[in-house]
Amino acid sequence: MKTLVLGVGNPILSDDGVGIHVARALRDKHLPNVAVEELPASGLELLDVVLDYDKVVIVDAIKTNEGVPGEYYVLEEKDFERSVHGASPHGINIATALALGRRVVPGRMPKEVVFIAVEADDLVNVSEKLTDRVRSALPEIVERVLREIS
Amino acid sequence: MAGPIINDTTTKTKEKKITIDPITRLEGHGKIEIFLNDQGNVENAYLQVPELRGFERFCIGRHVMELPVLTNRLCGVCPAAHHIASTKALDAVFDAKPTETAKKLRELFYMGQYTHSHIAHFYALAAADFVLGPSAPSNKRNVLGVVDAVGVPIGAEVIKHRSYGQKVQEIIGGRATHPVFGLPGGVSKQISEEERVQMEEMAKSCVEFGKFTIKLFHDVVLANKDYLNLILNQDAYYLNSYYMGMVDKDNKSNFYDGDIRVVDQTGKEVLKFKPSQYLDVIAEHVEPWTYMKMPYLKKVGWKGFVTGPDSGIYRVGPLGRINVCTGYTTPLAQKEYEVLAKTMKDLGVKGPVNHTLAFHWARVIELQYAAERMLQLVSDKSITSDDIRGPFGQPKEGVGICEAPRGTLIHHYASDKDGLCTKINMIVATTNNYAAINTSVIQAAKALIKNGEVSPGLLNKVEMAFRCYDPCNSCGTHALNGGPALEVTVKRRDGSVLTKQTNF
Repeated sequence: MKTLVLGVGNPILSDDGVGIHVARALRDKHLPNVAVEELPASGLELLDVVLDYDKVVIVDAIKTNEGVPGEYYVLEEKDFERSVHGASPHGINIATALALGRRVVPGRMPKEVVFIAVEADDLVNVSEKLTDRVRSALPEIVERVLREIS
Repeated sequence: MAGPIINDTTTKTKEKKITIDPITRLEGHGKIEIFLNDQGNVENAYLQVPELRGFERFCIGRHVMELPVLTNRLCGVCPAAHHIASTKALDAVFDAKPTETAKKLRELFYMGQYTHSHIAHFYALAAADFVLGPSAPSNKRNVLGVVDAVGVPIGAEVIKHRSYGQKVQEIIGGRATHPVFGLPGGVSKQISEEERVQMEEMAKSCVEFGKFTIKLFHDVVLANKDYLNLILNQDAYYLNSYYMGMVDKDNKSNFYDGDIRVVDQTGKEVLKFKPSQYLDVIAEHVEPWTYMKMPYLKKVGWKGFVTGPDSGIYRVGPLGRINVCTGYTTPLAQKEYEVLAKTMKDLGVKGPVNHTLAFHWARVIELQYAAERMLQLVSDKSITSDDIRGPFGQPKEGVGICEAPRGTLIHHYASDKDGLCTKINMIVATTNNYAAINTSVIQAAKALIKNGEVSPGLLNKVEMAFRCYDPCNSCGTHALNGGPALEVTVKRRDGSVLTKQTNF
């Protein structure tokens, strides 16, 4: 079974980079049979990366109205069904990219995609550092990803 | 398949404020707000863009050699353009002249970026408006709807060729999305003959795909009278602005290197400048309601959101480039450029193409050019030479400019004697277009919304006026929770929400 952990985000945009931080922590563990990639973009780029894996765990930042920074949600593709649309001026989202892949190259798409969505605090200030609450949550998030791929 | 849906039924609104909100996430998304007067006609419209704080401060004090890798993090959409502009700025900072091989490798890499970027915009973002129609139901008006309409095999070709563009960047740039190969005076790695052959095969296929895309544009868009009328609609989609873009010594379009040419509303050259002279040409206007500055031609001046010879607003990007150049150096792109010129001439258009929706036509011509140029460069076996790095001097100050897929991109750095950055200024493509985009939005809103009559399709037609610029707000635009949505909020004068329509 081929497994990929994919950290998505911008590593110089504060908590937007949490997925990248998680990916780097996992890479340092040199896990056997698990690929770890960073993706500082999204949309169609995502397709290039996830093809031909059996399982993909995507770690990304999320910002919800009532969310507590550092908390995380474990989501599946079906949780994004309502956001599969494409009227944006500048990009298609992850859910649309995956849906496109399932429509066009179904045989090469992962059987399972799991999202670990980490509640962000700051997505505006340019910084290589995570905010305190998100940084404190990193070990727990890394553990959760390890459980997901074990 | 059923034909595209051009118009839908409008309903009358009594509200004064309409918000078109393409959410990319709950914070940091751009939105359009349209204000109506008492008669329900458009009084004004504003395109607001998100804030990204502290990038300049982040760069000051770092070694300038880091900037090609840092500045490309500004954007998840066109990092390669930032990498190229930044590398060229370093050429200037270090007074370095890149070797011929290095120049070829940079340009080849960059044609990969154009191929990927223009395919993504045309097929994933723009095509839905033309294949399904601007008033098609919003849950169908997306790339999945396009695939349903045109068929899975074509969808697979789109994904394959966009991926080829990425692969070329990965082979040369080290990484497909945030490249690491640009150095002052050259690049960090040569390519092997095996890699050259691999890229040559991909480039050949991309040339064929460019031909297919031009044919598709003719069959689906130009052959449809309703679309042609939409493109030619001077009330909604027409600005007689100035135009800016890069050209070679013969005034042919060039994305990687050359002088910057500016033409007026009649197509006459009014300025031609070197990158180092940009501050003599461009000034920036500030509006209180948005974070992004609005560049304009200094010698003409800022006159507000109007166009014409007295207003310094200019346009960049595919439409800007096609209007400043006298053609292309590759045969198929040149042929289609001539088709566009003749079509416009036959329709009575004199001078530049001021029709905003013609951005899409210009973009498919550029896709063809990028693929042909990619093939030209990669077919030259000398590109595998190890002569990839030229000499460089002591750091000082310098400017680098290239044409990003979305338009002219300027990087300007100053360094101290140790190579630490003391000053940085960047004008990105969408910023160059910002005043024009806002003017286009005002124009489309005023032309299309009358007597308070609105509908999702009508508001999408307003959005089409800025989508064709392929605007990018220069920040991490990826989104997990949000995604591209269209949200229309109607508010009373006191700001309370009366009704809301969304496409999700």
